[in-house]
Amino acid sequence: MARAIRPTPSKPTPALLQGEGMRWLVFAVVSLGVWELGARLYNAPFLLPTPSRILQEFLKTPNLVLQNAWVTAQEIVLGFVLGALIAHLAAVLLIVLPKWLEDFIFRLVSTLNSIPFVALASLVVVWLGVNGIGSKVAIAGLYTFFALVYFVHKGLVSTDTGKEELLTSYNVSFAQRVRFLKLPSALPIIFTSLKGGAMAAVNGAIVGELFGAFQGLGFMILDSRYVGNTARVFLAAVCCTLVGWLLLGLLTALERRWVGWHLEMTRQR
Amino acid sequence: MTESQVKAKSTPTGSLVSVQNVSMVFATGTVALKEANLEIGAGEFISLIGPSGCGKTTLLRLLADLIQPTSGAIRIGGKTPEEARKSRAYGYVFQAPTLMEWRTVLQNVMLPLEVMNFPAHERRPRAEKMLGLVGLEKFARSYPWQLSGGMQQRVSIARALAFDPQLLFMDEPFGALDEITRENLNLELLRLWRETGKTIIFVTHSIPEAVFLSTRIVVMTPRPGKIETVIPVDLPQPRDFETRETPQFFEIATQVREALRKGHGFEVQE
Repeated sequence: MARAIRPTPSKPTPALLQGEGMRWLVFAVVSLGVWELGARLYNAPFLLPTPSRILQEFLKTPNLVLQNAWVTAQEIVLGFVLGALIAHLAAVLLIVLPKWLEDFIFRLVSTLNSIPFVALASLVVVWLGVNGIGSKVAIAGLYTFFALVYFVHKGLVSTDTGKEELLTSYNVSFAQRVRFLKLPSALPIIFTSLKGGAMAAVNGAIVGELFGAFQGLGFMILDSRYVGNTARVFLAAVCCTLVGWLLLGLLTALERRWVGWHLEMTRQR
Repeated sequence: MTESQVKAKSTPTGSLVSVQNVSMVFATGTVALKEANLEIGAGEFISLIGPSGCGKTTLLRLLADLIQPTSGAIRIGGKTPEEARKSRAYGYVFQAPTLMEWRTVLQNVMLPLEVMNFPAHERRPRAEKMLGLVGLEKFARSYPWQLSGGMQQRVSIARALAFDPQLLFMDEPFGALDEITRENLNLELLRLWRETGKTIIFVTHSIPEAVFLSTRIVVMTPRPGKIETVIPVDLPQPRDFETRETPQFFEIATQVREALRKGHGFEVQE
């Protein structure tokens, strides 16, 4: 008989917190409420502006803020996609290459990875220029690449020996081995690291803008701090968070779709 | 003695699997298999039995081209093991079910068909038929991890049968199961073998299992791993649970036990 799927041990959940949307709403109301109240009591708007003050800041120049957010969002998404693609290609390439070359490239990647990112980022801006989003995309891509490449590689090589031999007995090509075994069995770990990679891409884009940009949320942070507008710095930070959340939400949805089996399997155990 | 027994049992059409003077020495220096000779006819059910370290799994893996022998020659239907593997001549059932957790039961059985480019419209009906053969048609849409160990192993047998190879290698497929499940699956396997006419080479630790299933039992002994003797099992077919209670059954089981003892097979029980 099929093992009955055990119900998740049920701690009682208040009726208000049923459903994902409600949980987000409650979270937002409570945390913003506490912030608003705390900041008002503390009463030092230059150090800690209230959420309502930040909202006012947004309403002063909504188009400008959205424009900046749009630029940064592009950098983040393009950088993330590019970095993730290259990380996957590199991971597959690494397992095809002869052992000694794989070892050499791993040393190279580790060396590059131990250079402080900030130093790397400032160089990229010098190389690719301050204008346009190119240098920022590259930096976000670099951050993503390094956040991913080890995990994807690890996922691809950590396949079960028995399954590998099964495919050998079918006389599969390398591409089939990746498609039918390596990639699907690595997907759970890949998705976990993609979520980390998304956050890295956000960081990368902002760091890139801090080093040289005339638009974007990072530029907004630098510019506003220079004129002492703390509320606007907060506003930029909040925008970054929202962009990051959107990316995370998209990844979580894809994860449910493609790795739902894994979520359910681990829940059942 | 052993040689003449082997020859007497070979089918008139010649042997399907031929093992000549095959030795396997691992890089560590361990002699896993020493000068093995064996002829297997089409349609036979052969069990390889012996304690751990006697080379039975090694022999199976050599036949399947998962490892290559140090010396000697193996032919499968006239081909080398590598050619046989590349022409997908055999199905292999491993000790563990090795099912893909991200595929449903039906999709797991369809895996070899996809890999081997069977026409898309043939895959599903074929896989469904195989699931019927092992009695799991109702679980086609379940995931492997929702099934018991015995059911998982049945799925893996259905998968091995799906592309209709004439030869089936089974490496202790029921080793991890309890006695009751094992006896049931033995009966089912025997029925499958009768209905499909496959040639099966089956590795086991269990004397009753070997006697119950086989047309011949290859008794192997360790240090170095070698074939001690080959014992024919002339219990009538079809066999059922009562076969296990007959005097002939015990007689053959005793023969196997004595052959194992003669080759010091009992010295290294785990």
